[in-house]
Amino acid sequence: MTMSWQLEAEASAGRGVTARRWRMSNGLGLISAVDRRAPIVALQTWFRVGSRHERPGATGMAHLFEHLMFGQTEQLPPGEFDRLVERTGGESNAATWVDWTYYRLSLPARDLELGVKLEAERMQHLVLETGPVESERDVVTNERRERVEDDVDGWLDEQLMAHAFTQHPYRWPTIGWMEDIRALALPDIRAFYRTWYAPNNATIVCIGDFDEDHLRELIAQYYGGITPAQLPEVPRIVEPEQTKERVVRAPKPIATDRLLVGYKAPGQDDPDWAPLEIVSTLLAGCPSARLHRKLVILDESASSVDAQLTPFRDPSLLRLAVTCARGHNADEILQTIDRELTSLIEKPPTAAEVEKAKALAETDFWSSLVDVDGKAEALGHYETALGDFRKLDAIAKRLTTVTADDVARVVRTYLVPTKRTIVIAEPEDDEGEDDEPEVEGDGLAPAPGIDA
Amino acid sequence: MGPAVIIEPSPDTPLVWFDISIRGGASADPIGIEGLHRHAALLARRGAGTRDRAALDETLDSLGASLDIAVSRDSVTLSGLALSRHLDAVIGLAADVLADPLFSEEEHARLLRETPQVLDEIRDDDSALATRWFDWQCCPSHPYGRTSLGTEGSLLRIDRRSAIELWKREVVANNLVIGLAGDIDEATAARIVQRLTERLPRGNRPTTIVEETGLETEGRSGRRLILVDKPDRTQAQIRVGHLALRYGHPDTAAIAIAEAALGGMFSSRLMQEIRVKRGWSYGAGCALRRSRMPHWFEIWTAAGIDVAGPCVALTLELFADYAAKGPTDDEVDFARSYLVGAMPFHVATARQRMQLAVRDTVFELPQGYTAKLPESLAQLTAADVRAACARHLRPEDTVTVAVTTAASAQEALSQAKAGPLTVVNHDEY
Repeated sequence: MTMSWQLEAEASAGRGVTARRWRMSNGLGLISAVDRRAPIVALQTWFRVGSRHERPGATGMAHLFEHLMFGQTEQLPPGEFDRLVERTGGESNAATWVDWTYYRLSLPARDLELGVKLEAERMQHLVLETGPVESERDVVTNERRERVEDDVDGWLDEQLMAHAFTQHPYRWPTIGWMEDIRALALPDIRAFYRTWYAPNNATIVCIGDFDEDHLRELIAQYYGGITPAQLPEVPRIVEPEQTKERVVRAPKPIATDRLLVGYKAPGQDDPDWAPLEIVSTLLAGCPSARLHRKLVILDESASSVDAQLTPFRDPSLLRLAVTCARGHNADEILQTIDRELTSLIEKPPTAAEVEKAKALAETDFWSSLVDVDGKAEALGHYETALGDFRKLDAIAKRLTTVTADDVARVVRTYLVPTKRTIVIAEPEDDEGEDDEPEVEGDGLAPAPGIDA
Repeated sequence: MGPAVIIEPSPDTPLVWFDISIRGGASADPIGIEGLHRHAALLARRGAGTRDRAALDETLDSLGASLDIAVSRDSVTLSGLALSRHLDAVIGLAADVLADPLFSEEEHARLLRETPQVLDEIRDDDSALATRWFDWQCCPSHPYGRTSLGTEGSLLRIDRRSAIELWKREVVANNLVIGLAGDIDEATAARIVQRLTERLPRGNRPTTIVEETGLETEGRSGRRLILVDKPDRTQAQIRVGHLALRYGHPDTAAIAIAEAALGGMFSSRLMQEIRVKRGWSYGAGCALRRSRMPHWFEIWTAAGIDVAGPCVALTLELFADYAAKGPTDDEVDFARSYLVGAMPFHVATARQRMQLAVRDTVFELPQGYTAKLPESLAQLTAADVRAACARHLRPEDTVTVAVTTAASAQEALSQAKAGPLTVVNHDEY
């Protein structure tokens, strides 16, 4: 059965570990790497479907599957999937983001075949009926309440994406708008499953203590009979260039102002992504970072500041999140951020400062490869979001070549007020206020409201 | 006598992790000066040896390293991560923090201004707020009932001199547990332990560390419900529990099975009844808190505000039924199979093995206690587990905390049979 496989690529995935990508004739991808340091395996199935593949009015569909896929199949009664996994001592989970959905099994090495069998079963034989769908819909609405409605950070995040993007599907939340979650129709749910859950839209990533030939035999045995799907062409939506700063404000039951700023940034595979990642570290990625030192330590105007460059396939955001200190407000913090960014352009970082960010990136890189789950997640992300697991290593190498001039250039290019969206949550007054966001910007309508 | 040392070499990556635990922790804070251990520990990290805070941060970051301080109920832990080629330099900085912290007046004052803002952040986070209130209310006389962060009142009573004295008293070689893991050999590890401790006093372990005395009889006060009122909530963050046994008690393995069957897995009763059957919550679970002394047995969930009352009532009914009857034979077999099979995941990396061993040592458990639990699990019968449930689970003495909006949820919560209901404001603790 191993004859049906084609070896497409191989690369190092950490010390003494080689990852190989194989392809089966039905299009199923497999990335495998043997790591025998513990008698366990990470078995992950990555699908090239995320919230970007949804349509307005049916948001949250990809994430709903993260729940439904643990339900009944033709061979497994309700709850049996989890019982079979947990009886081994293993764990299962799943994650959905804009570019992908993945299903994770952590299993004792001896139970690899069980994992392969379960994943193949739910890829092709999921039972989608009214009862279980309604039950999971209730669970997802509660998940949304916990993570968005009652969580100021979740609300900030959702509003940022909703206003930073006007055309691209990154504008809606992965969990979906509440009204959409409630309205997702069973025929559409079934159609989504038939469309995207297919071997030619998936990559299995398996890292751990197993024999590679045996793994391919198992996968051929359980997946070999699954026919590929006719995958729809995904339209390439280009977000129009942002030309004016956008600002959203709303009162929340919080102690001090919260500020989230998103600057338009390139996709993860763009050459400018690496220098922006260094900028992110220099601004707020470590205790000596410029904004952290200025806002938290010297001015004491913020209690925390964080920076993140989102690792999306298409252009996304470099985000700065700030919690204001008592007696300080978001507008004052924004002025300080602008001054620090100007300073980064006028006085580019020293070579030593850039080297510092590179050293921290090196530590982060190795930290992501410490265990088999982390290795599988890193390889799965790069393979699914960027099309090649070897980008993990390639982007890490790009980081080592960034110069101080690169840093100044990308700050000048990307971190400008006209390309940013600002979301501010402010403490409510004692009367309690309507929490409908107030929006300023270039002709933006408020994002779908908060479900109360 | 010297420090307890745990070494877990592994060349998987060019990284070395180290945890240096100082026995004591927040449970040893003086009454009324809650937050002192945290304050002393964070202050020690803000400048040491010849480096002020900025220089120490800059040096660590330039090495691609991190050096963080965490305070638990039982210990203060200085945790480091370094590229192995920079290990010597990072260890030098860690040794300075242990032996020669500056405790600058300026940083002391700044930290006292900062800490109340951490309280603000907790009040903004419903889950963290529920845990903070539950920790306080579960058994107020217990040392673990005292907040490690402090209160706005206790912070006013922290002075720099007390922090310095605490550090001198507790950071002695005999009071440390040092764990090293990763790209390091035994000889290098021995040299590093020497560097970390050579400038420390050789005195005895301090006597201020709280000893376990009669704690298991406390907290038998009937049911109580605290509604932490916060505006505009769509859910209730719920905690239910009571003071239970010490991790390391002879019944630990039996309670581990009971905990898994009730709320430690997706297939467990709480998850099935609350999430799967009713869709009331995204999740529900329970755990015995692992600590050196008896700690809480705690159930958690977050229910939509419209079902908060019924959810608390159901949780208490499930808990009462479980305490009275215990898990079924099938549940015991299933939970045991899960726990035994899961152990390799908890000891898969050198860092995990090191951290488990450090924790066991701080808890004063025999070497390898946690890693060997599967052997104890294998010997238990279902009757043993049910007897342990009867001994340690006390559904009639539960404290329930619900962070939610009183105007919407109070009436239903008052009918949940959770005991007398007290409404408090979310920002008063």
